[in-house]
Amino acid sequence: MRRLFVLALLLGGMQLIFPLGTQGQGGHALLVFGFLVLAAYTVGEIATLVGIPKIVGYLAAGVVFGPSALGTVTTGAAEQLTQVSQLAVALIAFLAGAELRWSEVRERGVLLLKMMSAELTLSFGAVFALLYLGRGWIPFFRDIPDLHALVFSLLFAAVAIVHSPAVTMALISETEARGPVARTTLGVVLLSDVAVVLLFSGVMAAARILVPPSGSAAGPSIGALVWEILGALLVGTVIGLAVALYLRFVHRELMLFAILVAFFGVEITTVTHVEMLLTLLAAGFVAENISRAGEGEALRHAMERSAAPVFVVFFALSGAKIDLGGVAELILFVVPIALVRMGAIWAGTRVGARWAGARGPERRYVWMGLVSQAGVAIGLSSIIAGAYPGVGDALRGLLLALIAVNETVGPILFRRALDVGGETQGSTEVISPSRGPAPVGV
Amino acid sequence: MSASLILILVVAGAYLAAHVAFDRLAHRFNIISGAEYLLLGILIGPEVAGLISAGAADSFAPLRTLALGWIGVLVGTQFYVREMIRLPGVLYRVAFFEAILSLALVAGAMIAVLTGVLRLPFAESVMPAVAMGTIATVSSPSAIGLVARRLGRRAPLVLQAEIASAVSTAVAISAFALLLCIVHPGGGSTARTPTPTEWAVITVGIGCVGGALFHLFLGGERKVDRLFIALAGAIILASGAAAYLRLSPLLPAMLVGVILVNTSKNRAEIRQVLVGVERPLYFVLMLFAGVAWRLDVGNWIVPVAAFLGARVTAKLFSAGIAAALNGALPVLGVHWGRSLLGQGGVALAIGLNYATYENTRLASVVFTATIASVLLTDLVSARLAESVVRPQMEQKRRAAVAALAASAGEE
Repeated sequence: MRRLFVLALLLGGMQLIFPLGTQGQGGHALLVFGFLVLAAYTVGEIATLVGIPKIVGYLAAGVVFGPSALGTVTTGAAEQLTQVSQLAVALIAFLAGAELRWSEVRERGVLLLKMMSAELTLSFGAVFALLYLGRGWIPFFRDIPDLHALVFSLLFAAVAIVHSPAVTMALISETEARGPVARTTLGVVLLSDVAVVLLFSGVMAAARILVPPSGSAAGPSIGALVWEILGALLVGTVIGLAVALYLRFVHRELMLFAILVAFFGVEITTVTHVEMLLTLLAAGFVAENISRAGEGEALRHAMERSAAPVFVVFFALSGAKIDLGGVAELILFVVPIALVRMGAIWAGTRVGARWAGARGPERRYVWMGLVSQAGVAIGLSSIIAGAYPGVGDALRGLLLALIAVNETVGPILFRRALDVGGETQGSTEVISPSRGPAPVGV
Repeated sequence: MSASLILILVVAGAYLAAHVAFDRLAHRFNIISGAEYLLLGILIGPEVAGLISAGAADSFAPLRTLALGWIGVLVGTQFYVREMIRLPGVLYRVAFFEAILSLALVAGAMIAVLTGVLRLPFAESVMPAVAMGTIATVSSPSAIGLVARRLGRRAPLVLQAEIASAVSTAVAISAFALLLCIVHPGGGSTARTPTPTEWAVITVGIGCVGGALFHLFLGGERKVDRLFIALAGAIILASGAAAYLRLSPLLPAMLVGVILVNTSKNRAEIRQVLVGVERPLYFVLMLFAGVAWRLDVGNWIVPVAAFLGARVTAKLFSAGIAAALNGALPVLGVHWGRSLLGQGGVALAIGLNYATYENTRLASVVFTATIASVLLTDLVSARLAESVVRPQMEQKRRAAVAALAASAGEE
């Protein structure tokens, strides 16, 4: 309550000084950035008090202070803070990669692969079928030819199945969960991140052939797509090796080094045209797995420390980008899609777990960790809008509304999964050794 | 290749080079580290290699402002009143007198040089001269800290130098912030531009109100990770507010630091968080300062040389006078001012703030003088400090030995 009062006073103070200042020297962006950190932090703490994950609080703060509501964070200011978001994604990806141990990959790789395959296949099919068969009810799908509806439904489904490594990592960091539900969810999310990039690229390439975008240049070649993925693994491995060398021979100023690695990752992927998330995942994985015991952990801790305010702002900015009006307009279409997607994820993980012979809590609870969506999905929806002005824009609106719903519901569900899986403090269920496998490689 | 990528590669390369070579050299020759980043920034900046263009350098403005704010808060946390009042008042009187006298002497000397040599009208020379005065006032605690660590014992001179460093920094930051209020270019969308006095009140207001609100906001939070988020938000907000209003972020941030350290129960944790980020931000500041360096004035050698000379003379003279007027000369010695010659990060922060501020006069000359002073004093300040601390230590040791010998003779 005290913090809310302080926040209100700070907001009042900002309104007082706004007429006196100018935009130069990045002062406005810093002012908004600082306020957003404090606001998101406060709402995040309040969310924790009522049993909701902090990141939902950060998102809520973004919505409240964003352009849709109070307008403290203007669209321009949010754009100025894009670099912070990129930095956050890079840090998240590196940390996520560093969470994976080689021993765990060897031991649980088949399980993860099977769960991911089943889950992605079912959810892709279900969302595609729903949209294509229900096209008569969706305003912008009614009047387009069947082939176009087919292609756009495929594109929509390719984005709708994307998960959120950011939310997964943020919640695992927040709860310090290290059990089978957390690790399996993280593994599936990371693997599926590679798979959906490939799938989306393939669907997009097919879409360009079947429904050529009006007046746009040709899409990326197969070679470029292959480079985007393989190049990411290559660049990521090189970065990971460099990080491991630094940790072994220098091992100082880890906080500055962590930020530099993340910034470097963002920049180098732009220059080399490789997939950023995958690059930093690979970098984190390599660095962690070839470093000596304790070295990688020290870097991870430094990274988590420096990332903390960046995460807060990343999720708050994600919230600020939610268009409340747009979501409200499309809510009637979005809710059935979200429910079907959720159902398909649930069924997919059950099928995948049974296929792999998993009997632990991951069989029952991992689906709850796969509902969240955030940055990657938003990025892919923008690619569709860029390629197909008109229908693509409408499709992006629908996707953003879906992402907004999943972004809000997903973390709550994942937190619940970790609670009932007995992997957080104050969990409602404690797993006995006989009920599930022990955490591996942690 | 993008400017950011170059900067990242250079920082990484510089750090590794510094680790391999400079650290050993610095340790062997008593050099304060940090100057290598400044030099690297100059080398890759638009004025030398041009790897980073002027536009790209400007795009780092928010980070620069954040670094200034963070340094300001750190300066403020040195002023914990409960600890300060345990020390004799004469230490503060000497420090304050030395700082004010240094400021006045250097500002006066520089007005004379700028009007006499550069033929600037008096009104135009006051602003850069006072800015140089404030920069000259700053004494870095690094050299004296290094010497104190090396000699392993505390002498009265070390304590006096540490207090003088803190006080001179506070005086310099305050004077500089007030200078920016006086020369404020106006702007904004109000019907009337605030007067310098009103800008000064706003500057202090941001610091005091911000400090009070952040104190309430942080509460009794003791978990360092959570404190880091809240503290980072507070510093970003305070520095951003000052930069948005085109005021110096240093003074409001310093006031936030003073208020937080004096009102919060968790001051130890607050300091821990701030100090944890000090070195990375210090390096970043050094590098950005180097990148921001420009030289667009032909006749710069005379004012820069005059500044260096005036500063050394003013510091030595005012330290001696301050000690003499307060009766501390027998304890501190005539040459104790040598321990105050280091410049360090805060001087550079002030110089950078001046150089990147709108409508400033002779910005490149003032900044060049600052950089020259920082580079030179980083090389020699530790040796100079040692040259006055070591004899005092020796004297104390000899006195102790003599006392011991006398007592043994009596027995």
